[in-house]
Amino acid sequence: MPISGVVIASLPSETNDVLRFLATLSQVEVHGADEKGNIVAVLETESSDEMEKIIDRISRDQNVLHVGLTYLNAEDEAERIIQGEEPARPFGFRKPSGTT
Amino acid sequence: MTQTRRDFIKKAAALSAASYVSMNLPIDKINLARADEGVVWHRGSCRLCGVGCRVELGVKDGVPMGLRGVAESRTNFGYVCMKGTYFWKCMRHPDRLTKPLYRAKKSDAFKEISWDKALDIAADQFARAHKAGGGDAVAYYGSGQSLTEETYLFQKIMRGGLQSNNVEGNPRLCMASAAAGYLSSFGADEPIGGYADFEKAHCFFIIGSNTAEAHPVLFRRIMRRKLDNPNTVKVINIDPRISQTSRIADMHLQFMPGTDLALLNAMANVIMEEKLYDAEFVKNYATFRKGEAEQTTLEDFKAQVAKYTPEMAAKVCGGTFKADDIRTIARWFAKSKGTVSLWTMGLNQRKRGVWANNLVHNLHIITGQLVKDGADSLSLTGQPNACGGVREGGGLCHILPGHRPVENEKLRRQVEAAWGVPEGRIPAAPGLHTMAMFSAINEGKIKAIWINCTSPAQSLPNCTLYNKGMDRDDVFIVCTDIFPTLTTQKANLVLPASFHFEKTGVYGCTERRSQLTRKAIDSPGEARAEVWIVREWARRLAEKMNDPVIAQCIKPFEGLTEGYELPKAIWDEYTQKLTAGRDNDLRGATYAVLEKMADGVQWPAPTEEFALTGGTVKKFVKGRDPMATTESRNDLPYQFYGAAHPDRTLWIWLREQADPEEMPDAEYPFYLSTGRIIDHWHTMSMTGRIPELLRANPYAYVEVNPKDADRLGIKPGDMVEIKSRRGVNLLPAKVYAGPVEGMVFVYWHDQHPDRMINKVTKDGIDPGSKEPEFKICAVQVKRASDPKPLEPYIV
Repeated sequence: MPISGVVIASLPSETNDVLRFLATLSQVEVHGADEKGNIVAVLETESSDEMEKIIDRISRDQNVLHVGLTYLNAEDEAERIIQGEEPARPFGFRKPSGTT
Repeated sequence: MTQTRRDFIKKAAALSAASYVSMNLPIDKINLARADEGVVWHRGSCRLCGVGCRVELGVKDGVPMGLRGVAESRTNFGYVCMKGTYFWKCMRHPDRLTKPLYRAKKSDAFKEISWDKALDIAADQFARAHKAGGGDAVAYYGSGQSLTEETYLFQKIMRGGLQSNNVEGNPRLCMASAAAGYLSSFGADEPIGGYADFEKAHCFFIIGSNTAEAHPVLFRRIMRRKLDNPNTVKVINIDPRISQTSRIADMHLQFMPGTDLALLNAMANVIMEEKLYDAEFVKNYATFRKGEAEQTTLEDFKAQVAKYTPEMAAKVCGGTFKADDIRTIARWFAKSKGTVSLWTMGLNQRKRGVWANNLVHNLHIITGQLVKDGADSLSLTGQPNACGGVREGGGLCHILPGHRPVENEKLRRQVEAAWGVPEGRIPAAPGLHTMAMFSAINEGKIKAIWINCTSPAQSLPNCTLYNKGMDRDDVFIVCTDIFPTLTTQKANLVLPASFHFEKTGVYGCTERRSQLTRKAIDSPGEARAEVWIVREWARRLAEKMNDPVIAQCIKPFEGLTEGYELPKAIWDEYTQKLTAGRDNDLRGATYAVLEKMADGVQWPAPTEEFALTGGTVKKFVKGRDPMATTESRNDLPYQFYGAAHPDRTLWIWLREQADPEEMPDAEYPFYLSTGRIIDHWHTMSMTGRIPELLRANPYAYVEVNPKDADRLGIKPGDMVEIKSRRGVNLLPAKVYAGPVEGMVFVYWHDQHPDRMINKVTKDGIDPGSKEPEFKICAVQVKRASDPKPLEPYIV
């Protein structure tokens, strides 16, 4: 369950709209906003895949100019790797052609 | 993870983000310490573009588990992008190459072999090729992702050991035109200023660059500057395609591909006509050139650009904007308190890429928008070490370490003396540039090539043609890489390499900044650092060829451990012996200094004392650049000491509009351009293996302008055939008003044979830089079918 810290840059005139939008997202915890349009938030998701999707969703809001990541902790996944679990793979491992 | 620990981490994440925008949160900082329990953060540079973001890799129990930005770093101020945030997932990926693989014939199956055997085979094959054809029969093809120590050692063995200047790298494909542009306009490679100018700029001129997706962390700085100063900072975006970058632009001019030389000349015309140029700056520091470098006059320049009236240029550019728009942007550019230009492949990957670079530099020189804070002509680089390792460290066929042209005998002698090899050991003629090198492979003239950390089977233009050569059984190919690629499938010998943070070395980014990354974790399996691989290979080469000079090349590095001592010794030799007195003087940027600095050192940095200040922020300025003082010839504040201009002036070039090599015609009526998407990088061998990034964009698609789509009966998602005189792709369509009407656009990352766009692109090259014209060719566009389900593909 990764956790990230982000600075979301919004159009200053539309920051309140962006805050209302973020309030609808359960994975987003807003910690503050300033007059320049910066919104400090923490994202907490079930998986890295969901983290990617939520950042993409925020980025696509018309009043959001940039989602700046500053921190990512995915130690749950790391612990699973220590325990022998392989990270998710979207396709089968293919060795170079003809590999034995 | 307990709930309490999650709380600590969440609060640490909030504090981290808040600190970057000076926001005070009511959170006790003790949470930071508690969140870090059991975690060791290792400082280094990001691996996935040329910005040079400083990051810290979190390691818990020997396993990487997270990443954070370094707030004190002047490259990224703590921010990272999504690609960068996830690159650590490559480190423990199950697809990693972990054992040497070998096959005698390319139709054979690979077999795992020992390192001893692998290195013997590599030495045998290179010795055999050398015996058959001398230095001309062997080659090294490297990467802007290799550490400087790696590129330097490879080229040392090739030049000093095997007497071959067939040393090239993938930066030839992306930034050779920028290097040639800097050399021909400013007399010295690499930018005068850097990112520090962004926060002082009043005008951004972004041309041929989708900064928002290719360099998102820099885009944030530009965006912040604009948002904080909406009325006084202008952003100009010039591109045939509307992109994410255009969102912050005050004006976006969309032009037909290949017509921007006319546009740039028209801007110069407005500046001269309206007397917006800085006559004093031009008089003191510039001369005018035409042809090969024949000196000419201000009057000639005025007369030449006078032909490019805004009306004429607007028409040449396709009539998609008004003549007055050119006047407006020329005025913004010239009158601003500081203008920064930014570009990438849109200018470089062109038949006249050097000229395009020259014409941007022209605008800066005539307006004096240089050498002062907030003004610079800044080529953005795509790879983390194209500047540091390849351009500075001798990684191209025509340059030796320390920006030394191969053909200069005196400079060759300096290198031979530094290496302790006999005079004349380094051949006097440059080797083969990239396209010539792979043509020579097609012809069987090169018998053995070492391909390091790059995948030319996918990244070369018109790649089907050059894959034929790589398939030849009489061409022995060694690949060093971390993952299987389309190129490792062409190899006889695949050697597993250590990844970033699994080895130690320096990256030099866009803005002349060198930064050290120290080994933080062990490599998986039997993967080894390239510097170890090269040393061991060279020792065997020396034995097999009975050549003590090859042994001499590695003598200073014998017995050193690969994790730290070996790369440090290589860096010391390069910087202390071969950058001394050169414009990229890095003598002060020792490992000891680099380890102390949050964000490395910008050259020139001749002494440790100066390097500890961060180095030279502005080149050529007395009082800021130590070499501007030591090289000073007069009382003027700026000293353009670049070795390529003996007259020590900036050169303003008379360059005409020039068409691309291939223009649309009745048979192939559309322009094709190619580029990047935010989630992926290059040939996708890394980002394609990170599920979060792959799922965001699992395969390439073709962007089609809605008017063209309507005319061709193409609906969103339909399968579309893109065909050129060289090859064909079958891609799903994205219909939107991004590309200008008459042009389609495709991302170049996809490895699938149906969607690998470099089968379609053209291999014409710029005659000056030898960089291919990836950005423009002519294609047919045809609807093939309704939408079809597609699978991501990676070898």
